[in-house]
Amino acid sequence: MCAQIHQIPFRRLTGLLLLFFAVPILARGADEELIRVTDDGLFKQRPHWSPDGQQMVFARHRGNTIFLFLRDMQTGKEERLTPQIHPEYDAVFSPDGKDVLFAYDKASPNQGDVEVYRMSLADRKPMPLATTQGGLSHEESPCWSPDGKQFAFSSTRHGNQEIYVADIAGGEWRRITEEAGTDAHPAWSPDGKTIAFATDRWGDLEIALIAPDGSNLRRLTESRGMDDYPAWSPDGRQIAYTSKRDGNDEIYIQPLSGPARNATRDPGIDNFPTWTTDGRLGFVSNRDGGFEIYLMTSVRRGSPDPAETPDRRSPPR
Amino acid sequence: MLRIGQSSSRDCQQWSRRELLQAGMLSAVGIGLPDLLRLEAAERSETAAPAKSVILLWLWGGPSHLDSFDMKPNAPVQYRGPYAPIASSVPGLDVCELLPQIARRAHRYSILRTLRAASNDHGIAGTIGLTGDIAGAASLSGQVLPGTLKPAHGSIVSKVLGFSPTMPRFLTLGGHLHQGKRAIRGEGGAGLGALHDPFRLDYDPEKGIQIPDLELIDGLSPSGIDSRQGLLASVNQLARQLDRSADVARLDQYYEQAFSLLTKPGARDVFDVHREPESVRRKFGRFRFGQCCLLARRLVESGARFVQVNWSSHVEPIEDGGDGGWDMHDRHFQQYQDRHAWMLDQALSALLDDLQERGRLEDTMVVAVGEFGRTPKINNKAGRDHWEHCYSGLVAGGGLRSGHVIGTSDRFAEHPVTRAFSSADLFATVLGQMGITTTALTTNGLLPQGSVIEELL
Repeated sequence: MCAQIHQIPFRRLTGLLLLFFAVPILARGADEELIRVTDDGLFKQRPHWSPDGQQMVFARHRGNTIFLFLRDMQTGKEERLTPQIHPEYDAVFSPDGKDVLFAYDKASPNQGDVEVYRMSLADRKPMPLATTQGGLSHEESPCWSPDGKQFAFSSTRHGNQEIYVADIAGGEWRRITEEAGTDAHPAWSPDGKTIAFATDRWGDLEIALIAPDGSNLRRLTESRGMDDYPAWSPDGRQIAYTSKRDGNDEIYIQPLSGPARNATRDPGIDNFPTWTTDGRLGFVSNRDGGFEIYLMTSVRRGSPDPAETPDRRSPPR
Repeated sequence: MLRIGQSSSRDCQQWSRRELLQAGMLSAVGIGLPDLLRLEAAERSETAAPAKSVILLWLWGGPSHLDSFDMKPNAPVQYRGPYAPIASSVPGLDVCELLPQIARRAHRYSILRTLRAASNDHGIAGTIGLTGDIAGAASLSGQVLPGTLKPAHGSIVSKVLGFSPTMPRFLTLGGHLHQGKRAIRGEGGAGLGALHDPFRLDYDPEKGIQIPDLELIDGLSPSGIDSRQGLLASVNQLARQLDRSADVARLDQYYEQAFSLLTKPGARDVFDVHREPESVRRKFGRFRFGQCCLLARRLVESGARFVQVNWSSHVEPIEDGGDGGWDMHDRHFQQYQDRHAWMLDQALSALLDDLQERGRLEDTMVVAVGEFGRTPKINNKAGRDHWEHCYSGLVAGGGLRSGHVIGTSDRFAEHPVTRAFSSADLFATVLGQMGITTTALTTNGLLPQGSVIEELL
């Protein structure tokens, strides 16, 4: 969930049209509103907005398919992103909005072989970008560096899932984590200096920070419960992530130094956080029954609720 | 004798039920003369057993016991996986954090932590799980193991309890089970005959309830019957034989019982989950497995005695060309976390709540189990492979003991350190709660299998 790195002003008109074409606006308090963007109830994964805010890509599950869709935020029209027949997911716009990276799961006879593909939105011709020859490994969860010249992703190429960095133009991969546990879901900071990712090296899944060259590893979260899917705010000062610390999936927002707060507070599942370039928080939730994509406007800052760090050993609420 | 083709003005509704059923349904449900002649009288005295019904949630493909009900948080990271255990409503019974709703309901079920299967092949272990025996199972390579295939547990229920006036005893929600393109053996009546195969239906989130057998009879127009000359001949021959048989009265009763569901106005309403309040449908979740769990509850309320809800038809997840099964050799944690866990958590919890609220958990057992577990050691593709030596199952309701963990596995959940239980043991216990005891089985010519798990009683 990286990539909203170019601080392109979000057009006011786009915002108004978004409100018009999105389904209801749900009041959440004086400083937050929740907009339901989709309305079909089908399971969705990892929405991501274009830098100008006019388009959104996301993966939708329908029957036995997982396909990427491109939604025009002004008209509400949706179309398949690619003509491919196998599962595809984890799409992210490039910083200039002209390309996308995504994970493509070429279903082999027995098991899928996931690889990172790049596609220009102009010609819509997917091209393999991170693949492994001569073996079955999984390259997925791509994200762009803010200058658009590199990308980070996870791979099982060397036996367990690690984080790698490579040049968009091609060349060798640089492995930036090396740990027995699982490392997943890299997100590149807007200033280009840090990659956030999820790791279970300290127990359950936590959010860690690391420099793109693999140095300066540090731990952002230390909660009793899973923390996953980090996403940098456009100003680089906060990270949103999914957390189970209060017993169900919520989106928490945490400054780089300071406590986290629960941004969603709903008994349903809230997952896959992302940001628009004007600082609105997007996520997937089943709070209205089916799984839909939501936008939270005017995400507030503030102190955490007292109940936001419950003891894991307590019965879940 | 049938008068097909002799009365073109008659529409489908004017045919007598017997005529229609003889013409259209005999072949549709795969009933042959030997089956018909084995029909038993419908009036059976049901025992005063504690349980009336069982809902089997068949988690096809093999869920990971280490990431659900037998976590090993102190094991090395290569084993324990990325999730933490959370306390449940029962002290000492920890559950994976991805199953928080199930954790809150631990007082309503027990966990078996030392189930063991005799094979790590889906096809063979699937047959073992559904029939209690390895005989006649087919492996991935297609090899059929020696021995006579046993009937499915649901078919035994159908056989012993007999037909219900309005509802088949044994129903399966979902398609035929596969691994790859190979069908699994042991889903139906086997030697008991097609009469005891499950009545199949399914739920599609976009199309609603799918009932293949009813679609057949719906399409049975007089012209369609006219065209079935071959069928007509065979049916008339069969009817002549039956008219000379002392079983005719019983056959009519069978028709009355087995197919009134298909012909009585309103009888199909039981299949219509849309008749449930929106709040209830939402509680179960708007996805196939959730709505199938709701449908299973409706079915047992209407007289079904064994309802099997197949999580998927294929063992493979969507990413591997399947339809969402639990066989996650690679990207196990990604898929489990993103989809399988919350689906199971929501649907199973809603089912337990719903049965409890309606006062049916006392006489309805819920069993959630797959054909085996998954390797405690994480493989080199962020996945877990097949593991038959030790795995977990959940059992609730029907008078069975709840709020307990039964069995202990070793430090990495690789092997049982207390008594291992088989699928045959599990279903000997389940059927026993329904009054289907060794005596009942042998009376019906069935070979008892397994030993009752006393700890569950």
